[in-house]
Amino acid sequence: MAEMKNCADNPEPVEDIHGDGRWMSQHLRFIAEGKEREPDVLFIGDSIIQQMRFSKVWKMLLEPLHCLNFGIGGDQTQNVLWRVSNQELDNVSPDVIVLMVGTNNHGHNAEQIVDGIMAIAEVVRTKQPKAQLIIMGILPRGQNPNPLRIKNSKVNSLLEAKLRCRENATFFAVDDEVFVGSDGSISASDMYDYLHLTPEGYTKLCEPLLGVVEDLLQIFVKVENVSLDTDSMAGELASDTQ
Amino acid sequence: MVLSQRQREELNRAIADYLSSNGYISALGEFQKEASMQGEIDKKYAGLLEKKWTSVIRLQKKVMDLEAKLSEAEKEFNSGGPTRDRRSPSEWIPRPPEKYTLSGHRSPVTRVIFHPKFSIMVSSSEDATIKLWDYETGDYERTLKGHTDSVQDIAFDQAGKSLVSCSADMSIRLWDFTGSYECLKTMHGHDHNVSSVTFMPSGDNIISCSRDKTIKMWEVSTGYCVKTYTGHREWVRMARVYHDGSLIASCSNDQTVRVWVTATKECKAELREHEHVVECIAWAPESAHPAINEANGVDVKKTGRSGPYLASGSRDKTIKIWDISTGLCLFTLVGHDNWVRGILFHIGGKYMLSASDDKSLRIWDIKNKRNQKTLDAHQHFVTSLDMHRSAPYVITGSVDQTVKVWECR
Repeated sequence: MAEMKNCADNPEPVEDIHGDGRWMSQHLRFIAEGKEREPDVLFIGDSIIQQMRFSKVWKMLLEPLHCLNFGIGGDQTQNVLWRVSNQELDNVSPDVIVLMVGTNNHGHNAEQIVDGIMAIAEVVRTKQPKAQLIIMGILPRGQNPNPLRIKNSKVNSLLEAKLRCRENATFFAVDDEVFVGSDGSISASDMYDYLHLTPEGYTKLCEPLLGVVEDLLQIFVKVENVSLDTDSMAGELASDTQ
Repeated sequence: MVLSQRQREELNRAIADYLSSNGYISALGEFQKEASMQGEIDKKYAGLLEKKWTSVIRLQKKVMDLEAKLSEAEKEFNSGGPTRDRRSPSEWIPRPPEKYTLSGHRSPVTRVIFHPKFSIMVSSSEDATIKLWDYETGDYERTLKGHTDSVQDIAFDQAGKSLVSCSADMSIRLWDFTGSYECLKTMHGHDHNVSSVTFMPSGDNIISCSRDKTIKMWEVSTGYCVKTYTGHREWVRMARVYHDGSLIASCSNDQTVRVWVTATKECKAELREHEHVVECIAWAPESAHPAINEANGVDVKKTGRSGPYLASGSRDKTIKIWDISTGLCLFTLVGHDNWVRGILFHIGGKYMLSASDDKSLRIWDIKNKRNQKTLDAHQHFVTSLDMHRSAPYVITGSVDQTVKVWECR
C-alpha cells in the first residue's frame, strides 16, 4: 500500500501546469495585502472561500469586519498548508481565521483530508497563537447523492469530534439540509454548478458564520439588509412588458 | 408598438444573427424565407439582439440610480441648508451628492490633501503612486512615480512649494512643486513602513513616524535625520505638529496618544483612554477653542487658559478631544459604526469632520457634541479627508480606489 502515502498533510505548492504563474502571484499578493491591511479576520481556503468576495454577504457583512480573502481555486489541504507555512500568516495579527478546504482533495480519503486540515490548524496555532480558528465543514456537492457527499460529511463528523475539546479552534458547519432538499438534491439556485455557491448560497452559509465570527470577535456589527434583492430586475422588466 | 421599415429590417437581421450564432439553423432558414431576407448576415448585426436585450436592464438600473440621486438632491435642496450665495465660509459643510468621483488609482487611496495655493489636490495610494487632480474641474493632472511600495501619507509645506511623501518602502521623498514635479530627495532611516509625514511650520524640517515605533525629524536642506523620538511601544500611525512648532502629537497601535516637546524630545503627555489602535489626530485651531470650552462647560474667564486641544480618532469607533495642558480627555464623540480613519477641524471652529470605515463622512457639531450630518461617501472604507482652507470643498479618498470632491454650502 505504498501508493496510499498520505500527502494531504504534506505542504506542497501547486504545480504551475498552465505556465502563467497565477497561483504563486495570488500567494504573493496575499502576503503583500496582509502586511498592508492589518486584517482582523482572515479567510483561507479554496474556491468556495475565494469566490465569497463577490457575494453580497461579503460586501455587506463581512468586509466591514476588516476581512482579507486568501482563497485560491482548486487548492487542496496540502496546498493551503504550504501557503500558511510560507509567509501568509507571518505579517498579520488577525483575531479570527476562517478555514475551508478539502473538497478538492480527490486523491485522498476522509481520514487523510482530516489529517491535512489538522496539520493546517497546527501551523495556524503555532504562527498565530492568539487567533481564534474557525474550521468550516466541507459543503455537500453534486446535484444528487454521491460518494463525495458521503466522504465530505465523514470529514465533517471526524473534524467535529477532534475539535470538540480544543481551545482556540471551533468547528462550524451549516446543516446539510440548508443546501440539500428533501429529495436529496442540491438546487442550482444555491450551487450553480452543484459545487460552487451563488450569492444566495453564500447568504445561507455566511449569515450563521457571521454569528460565530462576531461571538469570537465579541463585537456587534450593524446589520444591513442583504436579503434585499436587486438582481430580479430582468424578471420585473419581463413582466412589465407583458 | 410600431416599428419603422428600417427598424423592422434591423430587428430581422439581428434575429437572424441570433439564430445563426446559436445554431438554430432550421429556424434560421425558415425565418429568412418568411422574412424574405437574402444573402449573408452582415457582421455589424453580430450580437446586436443580445446587446439590446441587456442594455434595457442596464439602462433601467441607471435610471433607478439617477432617480435615487435626484431625490437625494431634491431633499438636500429643500431642507439641506443655505443656498449657494448665502453660504458663509465659517459655517459651510459638505453636501451630497459629490461633485466629482475621480478614478485612476489602481489600489486603495491612502491620503488626500489640498494644495494650499493652487486649485490642485493630491492623492496617494497603495499602488505606490501619487496623483494630482484639479478639484475645480475634476481633471486629472499628473502622476508622481518613485516609491516602490504603498504611499502612506503626503503633506505640503505652508507655501505649497514642496510635497513630502512617505511609504511602506521605508523611504521619505521630497517633490518639487514649483514646476518640475521631480523627486528632489529620498530620505532613508526608518527600519519599517513609514506611516505619516508632515512639515514643521518653518518648512525647514520634516516629521515622520513609522511602524519601527519611532518618530523622526529630518532636515530638509541636507536630508539628514536630526532627532528621533522614542517611547511608543508599537507602530506609530500619525504625527502632527502644533501650529507654533513647539509640540508634536503622535498616535499609535499601542492605543495611546503622546505629545512630545519638539526641542527636547521629552514626552510631555501620554493620553490613554482609547480601547483600540489610534488611527489619526488633529490639533484644534484657535477658532475651535470657544466651541470646545462650551462643550466642556468650562468658563475660560475663570481658569484664564484654554488649550492646546487635540482630537484623536480610533479603531474603537470614537473621536476624543483632549486638553493637552492637563492630559485629560474632555469628551468623546460617538456615532461611527467602524474604525475612524480621518479627522479634521472645520476652519470656522464650530465643526469637526471625520472619515470612517463605516463608509461615511460625518460632520460633528462640537458645542453640542452631536453628529450633525452623515454623508454616505463611498462604496468602501473612507481612508482620508481634507477640507480646503478658503474654497468650499472637501475631498475624501477610499479603499474603493476613488477620490471624491464634495462642494460645501
